[in-house]
Amino acid sequence: MIPFTLETVLYAGAIGLTAIGAVGMVMSNHMFRMVLALVVAEAGVNLLLILSGYRGGAVAPILEAGAAPLPMVDPVPQALVLTAIVIGVGVQALAVGLLIRAYQAYGTLDVRELRRRMEDDLCAAAGVTSPTSLHAPGDGPLPVPEAQAQGVRG
Amino acid sequence: MSSVVLAIVLPLLAAFLLQPLDRVAPSLARLLGPATLLVAAWVLAETWLTRGSVPFTVALGGFAPPLGIVLYVDALALLFALAVPVFGLLFWPWSAAGEDRVREQALTLLLLAAAAGLALSGDLFNIYVFYELVAVASFGLAAAKGTARAQVAAVRYLLIGAFGSLLILIGIAIVYTKTGTLNLAQLAQLAPGTLDGPAGLAAFALMLIGFGVKAELFPVNTWVPEVYATAPARVSALLAGLISKLAVLVVIRLLVLVFDQPSAAQLMLVLGILGTLAGELAAWRARDFPRMLALSSIGQLGMVFIAFSIGGELGLLAALGVALHHLLVKPALFALSNRWSGSLEALAGAGRRSPLSAALFVLFALSLVGVPPLPGFWVKLLVLVGLAQQGEALHLAAMAVILAVTVLEANYLFRLALRLYRRADGAPEPPARLDLATAGLLGAGLIAVTLTITPVGEGLRQIAAQGADASVYVGTVFPQPVALRDGS
Repeated sequence: MIPFTLETVLYAGAIGLTAIGAVGMVMSNHMFRMVLALVVAEAGVNLLLILSGYRGGAVAPILEAGAAPLPMVDPVPQALVLTAIVIGVGVQALAVGLLIRAYQAYGTLDVRELRRRMEDDLCAAAGVTSPTSLHAPGDGPLPVPEAQAQGVRG
Repeated sequence: MSSVVLAIVLPLLAAFLLQPLDRVAPSLARLLGPATLLVAAWVLAETWLTRGSVPFTVALGGFAPPLGIVLYVDALALLFALAVPVFGLLFWPWSAAGEDRVREQALTLLLLAAAAGLALSGDLFNIYVFYELVAVASFGLAAAKGTARAQVAAVRYLLIGAFGSLLILIGIAIVYTKTGTLNLAQLAQLAPGTLDGPAGLAAFALMLIGFGVKAELFPVNTWVPEVYATAPARVSALLAGLISKLAVLVVIRLLVLVFDQPSAAQLMLVLGILGTLAGELAAWRARDFPRMLALSSIGQLGMVFIAFSIGGELGLLAALGVALHHLLVKPALFALSNRWSGSLEALAGAGRRSPLSAALFVLFALSLVGVPPLPGFWVKLLVLVGLAQQGEALHLAAMAVILAVTVLEANYLFRLALRLYRRADGAPEPPARLDLATAGLLGAGLIAVTLTITPVGEGLRQIAAQGADASVYVGTVFPQPVALRDGS
């Protein structure tokens, strides 16, 4: 039986947030929701890291001259989380930036639709028929679009 | 403080100086990147020559480990760190134009600086930060062409990469909760009592999948074909050749130092087998040249993991062999694919138009398949011998898989080689002179290794022996507690 203490509740919250985010990333069909799920999961993991240095009733790890040293929380995970938050913000901003460009190009952020459009685009540029093409196998090769003329690699 | 730090710091500094310098003096900015990489390569080569193979550490900022962050420099780290500026120069974006040129050069420098950091760092969180730097730079480079499909591929790559980083962070949280340190040498000391249970295995599995995103490990490699088909060929060459190997190096360090347990090796073996099978089968079905190369690189990286799961000095030697062989061959093939990016059918007759590039392709294909005098044969032999020595059911299955995919590799590579020499109209343009020179240089390197296979093999064996010995690592980082080091 797991004891019902403050720490258990905190750990459950952190792991729960991570799980919600991770499941959201895997299950959602919309690119932007995936980014949001990533944000939630990252918050959960950051809490988990903070908890790894947590001590009940301890003070912030600042040593003042002359003061008697009290029990302190571990400062290392806090430094790590600070770094992780900054990295996370950067990556999320980059993701949203790329999503805007993808939406401008294809007009959708649906994962499957976007993937199919990209795959078709890729195959058209390489001059092969797409395996995800909606045409039946008997329809013959897809017409090669003008994109091929743009450049050697399209 | 040793000059090794410069190999990380100078490219990092240059990456951020490039943009302002380009405004003031464009001709200087053009030279800044290559000059920085030359200095970095020289610093590392000089360290190798003066220090020999004696490992040493560099305490960053003068703070001693375990509280401070150390760079750990041994022959294994130097070998990979030296490959970073060398391949950076080989695949430098000379031909990118205008505003894109500065952006791509700055991102490449950022990628290379962080890659050198990955090779040298001796602190788990420091490795995570460098890994994230590599990731962000590679997301930018993957979208460098600016086409819509490149941006979609980049954003899908980014989401998988961010998911992987998340798993690494959870792994780090577990490790820190269990041990209270992130210094790899101290972890090596503490691991036997704290990380050999299920929690340690979970932490390793999370970090393996996390670092596996860049190492093209099954199942987090779905980004590979999309990105390599949409990014510039030089970026694909750097990501497939160089960056994947540095992620492998991190996993090697983790497994040797921290998670030295049979179940961890077994997990790697299973994922390696699945990756090899999936990659080679998909490559066999691929219908355009860049994606065929991308998928075959998944297969080759799977073999690196199979090789390393053998364990010990022989396992590390085999893994190093496969990894370095792939490092020579795959970037060269990507250089050839720059102009030959169309479908495989469209490549008919390309060999008649450019006999030298077709000859190079055949050379690399023969080595990839493993035809005797070439290095590809020796590395496959090493892996098979190592697996046979282990002799458990899973190892025998891995042997069968490697032999089976060799047949597949031979089929799809020779099929293309025959097609290159077929008589046909409308053959594609021959590869550009720069790409051909790069591929030729790497081909010459491959032949040089073939001719000097005995000394090269002996050198690698020494590097592997040193790298596989955790006590050397611990003894170098913490020279005081001599009790941990045996008398020799």
